[in-house]
Amino acid sequence: MFDFSIVTEWINNLLLTLMPQWAATLVECVLVALAIITLYAVFAIILIYMERKICAFFQCRLGPNRVGKWGSIQVLADVLKMMTKEIIDMKNVDRLLHKMAPFLVIVASMLTFSCLPWNKGAGIIDFNVGVFFFLAAGSIGVVGILLAGWSSNNKYALIGAMRSGAQIISYEVSIGLVMLTMIVLTGTMSFSEICQQQADYGWNIFRGHIPALLAFIVYLIAGNAECNRGPFDMPEAESELTAGYHVEYSGMHFGFYYLAEYLNLFICAGIASTIFLGGWAPLHIVGLDAFNQVMDYIPGAVWMIGKTFFVVFLLMWIRWTFPRLRIDQLLTLEWKYLMPLSLVLLVLMAVCVSTGLTL
Amino acid sequence: MNTESIVFIVLAFFVALFSVLSVTTKRIIRAATYLLFVLFGTAGLYFLLGYTFLGAVQIMVYAGGIVVLYIFAIMLTGKTDKSKQYTLSLGKRAAALLAALIGAGLLMFVIISHQFVSKALDANITNEAALPISVIGSTLLNAGEGGNLLPFEAVSVLLLACIIGGLIIARKR
Amino acid sequence: MSNNNYFSGLFCGVRSLFTGLSVTIKEFFTPKITEQYPENRKELKMFDRFRGRLIMPHNENNEHKCIGCGLCQTACPNGSIKVTTEMLETEEGKKKRSLVSYQYDLGCCMFCELCITACPQNAIEFCTDFENAVFDRTKLVQQLNKPGSKVAEKKPAVKPAAPAATPAAKPQTTDAKSEASNLETNSAV
Repeated sequence: MFDFSIVTEWINNLLLTLMPQWAATLVECVLVALAIITLYAVFAIILIYMERKICAFFQCRLGPNRVGKWGSIQVLADVLKMMTKEIIDMKNVDRLLHKMAPFLVIVASMLTFSCLPWNKGAGIIDFNVGVFFFLAAGSIGVVGILLAGWSSNNKYALIGAMRSGAQIISYEVSIGLVMLTMIVLTGTMSFSEICQQQADYGWNIFRGHIPALLAFIVYLIAGNAECNRGPFDMPEAESELTAGYHVEYSGMHFGFYYLAEYLNLFICAGIASTIFLGGWAPLHIVGLDAFNQVMDYIPGAVWMIGKTFFVVFLLMWIRWTFPRLRIDQLLTLEWKYLMPLSLVLLVLMAVCVSTGLTL
Repeated sequence: MNTESIVFIVLAFFVALFSVLSVTTKRIIRAATYLLFVLFGTAGLYFLLGYTFLGAVQIMVYAGGIVVLYIFAIMLTGKTDKSKQYTLSLGKRAAALLAALIGAGLLMFVIISHQFVSKALDANITNEAALPISVIGSTLLNAGEGGNLLPFEAVSVLLLACIIGGLIIARKR
Repeated sequence: MSNNNYFSGLFCGVRSLFTGLSVTIKEFFTPKITEQYPENRKELKMFDRFRGRLIMPHNENNEHKCIGCGLCQTACPNGSIKVTTEMLETEEGKKKRSLVSYQYDLGCCMFCELCITACPQNAIEFCTDFENAVFDRTKLVQQLNKPGSKVAEKKPAVKPAAPAATPAAKPQTTDAKSEASNLETNSAV
């Protein structure tokens, strides 16, 4: 498996020969930030295009097909439109909070985005409590949503923010418990180590068999709700509930919420592929050495992105299949079904690990 | 002056600025937001020291939990504009000032008498290998030598008592 | 009891979710029905029941079936049909009404098909033409009977239609259908 840290170390050494330590660190930080922002934008564009096409196919349509071949530059046109739109100032709003809220959401989203391990040695934020940090950074987004609702001076936005806030806080419980289940299996909280283990011993979803599979399903449901998507997309329900917390936002400020929504989908899928499907670890089947050899030649980043897009497809499939849940049904689902189930899974996994029942 | 010191000064300034803003602002929701930034700054200090676990806990519990709770509470109670006219009487102001000065004096005394600053400057903050999560976990849930199981359980009993108290207050009779 | 409901509800719910997913994934792979209109303008064929605009079919002898009774005009809720007739005298000395002009205003029409149901002769029908946009609304007023056309005589009109098997087959079936619908409306009245 190619180790990406060779490249980063080479860059580091190159910079150290040119400038002192602190300047090298600064330049590296800027480079990494640029890389994150570029990746963020590129993935957002890909995801929006993918969503529109997949939604269309599920509804027996063709989707965007006018701008560019197969509508491929439709999203670029939309981005251009969004960027040139006016940002409207409302009367009697808390200006500072109103302008700050989208940034809080996007910062939380970018922080979690940079937790993803792209390849061996290519994790951006990677330390011993990576999973915990991921959960912590993800919880900042709620503040942005609540502030957006409060500062819009609009009761629909306020109620929408409460709705979304309650939803995200509730489903964070399940996500945390499910991640804990997988941490019980791996015994580490660092994303890079989790991936390395899976490269050595096989994917977690196979190692943890029944509890891991159930945990994967719970994670998909809770993750979908966490991203405000799928059957849990209360803020999207314009016709029934107005657009929720971002009803008063226009132009690029709305664009940030839109971006963050799609990237949260990608992050949710990326984390699912990291902790369940092996991250950058290639698919190995015991006994088929030639097959394993071929799989090893595919770079880790391709595996990671491929798996992530597979999970994204699963999430989109769920989204375009089921009708919306009401807020009370949504909270019932979490507190009466998913949370007890994930608690049971945690205990089950602990029993499996301690009795050596894992593969 | 190395990189860590520069980052520390920036973070310290950030924390101080937002602490002051948090208590001087007249709008309560802004105060909560500034408090959020104070907590981010504190988390940044922990990350700077290499205590990633504590930093993540800081963000998770305080930024993601407590501040969200505050904002929820503010949203649910509302009527923030009317409390603006609330002013302190002269005696109360004097008492508050006195309490603040005594607190600051105590803190300064502790800091100076233990020579934290000079020690820190001498020691050249080193990023030791971060504490493994397994060590934290086994220390926290260990009943033996140096274990923290008793305080851990005591805190959980306290939280349980809080939940029950809250339920009893909120329950309709 | 309530526990049983909880678990059975859980499993039924999960099963129903998978049913939904299987339905949508089938839909995902079915050929798409979207018509890419300006590109496929040549081969685009509207479905038969589409109501584009009113026409009066003429046969090869420039004959139509309208007897000028004006039932369609009275049936039209919007007054978009104007039938002008004149009285002619046949060779036998009978007086007979004959159509002079059949004016149809597409701009007023709401495509309710009441005129077609009302017509006793099945002389008018909707065609599947849908490119009806014009720049001047006076162009929307159309004369449906072609210049110089006349009413098809009942007996001879059937005779030439019978040998021409394939082209005649379709109108006959539509006739049968509309007659059936006529009967239905009559009985309903």
